[in-house]
Amino acid sequence: MSRARTLVRDTGERWRRWAWRLAGYAVFLGAWQGVSTFLVEGFVVPPPRAILTEMGGIVASGQVWIHFGATLRTIAIGFAVAYALGAAAGMLMGRSRWWEAFLSDWVLATLTTPGLIFALVAAMIFGLGPAGPVAAVIVTSFSYVAVNVVEGVKAVPHELVDMARAFGRGPAPVVRHIYLPFLAPYLFTAVRYGFSIAWKIATLSEVIVGTAGIGFMMRQKFQEFSMTGFLAWVLLFFAFALFLERVVVQRGMRRVLRWRVTAAVR
Amino acid sequence: MAGVRVRELRKEFPGGDPPVVAIEDISFTVDGQEFVSVVGPSGCGKSTLLNILSGIDTATRGQVDITQNGRPARLGYVFQSARLLPWRSVLDNLLFVQPARGPADRERCRRYLDMVRLGHTAGQYPGQLSGGMQQRVGIARAFSIEPDLLLMDEPFSHLDAITARSLRRELHDLWQETRKTVLFVTHDVSEAVELSTRILMLAPGGRLVADLPVRLPFPRDPAADEVALARADLLRRFESLDLLAG
Repeated sequence: MSRARTLVRDTGERWRRWAWRLAGYAVFLGAWQGVSTFLVEGFVVPPPRAILTEMGGIVASGQVWIHFGATLRTIAIGFAVAYALGAAAGMLMGRSRWWEAFLSDWVLATLTTPGLIFALVAAMIFGLGPAGPVAAVIVTSFSYVAVNVVEGVKAVPHELVDMARAFGRGPAPVVRHIYLPFLAPYLFTAVRYGFSIAWKIATLSEVIVGTAGIGFMMRQKFQEFSMTGFLAWVLLFFAFALFLERVVVQRGMRRVLRWRVTAAVR
Repeated sequence: MAGVRVRELRKEFPGGDPPVVAIEDISFTVDGQEFVSVVGPSGCGKSTLLNILSGIDTATRGQVDITQNGRPARLGYVFQSARLLPWRSVLDNLLFVQPARGPADRERCRRYLDMVRLGHTAGQYPGQLSGGMQQRVGIARAFSIEPDLLLMDEPFSHLDAITARSLRRELHDLWQETRKTVLFVTHDVSEAVELSTRILMLAPGGRLVADLPVRLPFPRDPAADEVALARADLLRRFESLDLLAG
């Protein structure tokens, strides 16, 4: 197939996907408006327009930066620590069956335990303030990173490592040019799942013990029974998570994994 | 040119009782500029032998001495599959192994890509090439470090007959041009007769059962009578040893 025809087909495909995505939003918002207008009182399920106005107010007042800043700080610190620990544990478990025996039950335990439990334990240990949410984020997202890295390390193509050894390349170039590029998709998946867990736990912890942050604001709006305010924060949170996924994670993945895409279109 | 001296080399794999013997106390030498094929049926320790020579694997006992004018020789390796890094371009795959030769030299790498007629693919990823083209990149990679000794492990066994034949010709031309010392592992008797100056016959259990010079002029046409006779003679030797039965 010619390059021009492939381009036209890809462009058409992209437009069709966007059309379906917009249709999804339109149907969802229409249903929401319908429920708000005909089925329940507006203060229980406020119409989309009211939520949008509230979101605009939150942005204009500058509150959004204060509380997103607080939550992002919690996530950045917690997830960075979890990622470093999880990647190290995953490397050890993937390369040594002794380390796997040592760590695997603990990783499995943290993976299967509901995040709420860690949020509550952290709240009891650290009390009010930012330390509890950070600790809860570390414990819960650690295992998601570790599990993905273990799988990647176990699947590293040893024939490539042998090739490098046969040509006299030492451990440092093997890690840089074979392990890291091969593990890139696993590391991205770890970021994706670990980060989504980190968001949830950070917000949950802030609902319980936060003194600032998105979760803290949700708790405040819940106590005021302001469904409009509550949903406005929820949607701001959703918009930000979507931005991170679509713009930061997916673009990063495309960039790092472009060799796969190029090879697939030959 | 590099010389290879192998003395009483033995490789056992633990786990069985007694342990599985992959190579049984073999000794041989390869002199500079020779093209030596190691021929034998599957599982007779051919690849294990190359892995030990290249340092990928270790011997249970015995001595391996590969030197070039008194210093350790530089080794190039062509594997059964191309073993290219799929996330690096063709040229970058050659550059990856250059520290074995010295500072990375893009021009030298391009020259060897041109020699296998793949200069135009330098910027492409391996996944964009056919299996035969990938194997040619593997050959160019091994030659690009200008090795003293070239180890080749059934490099054409995964390719279709037509591509394999064309690559054999290319390899022969490259060898004629560079006169590298080559140790070539194959289970294909015809291939060994077509390419080699000497053939080492390996039997199951890793026993070296014959060391035969091939005194036929190059280039060798696989369909020519003298090549067919040499091939038949070699096959008869294998049959007399009852090596092909299993």
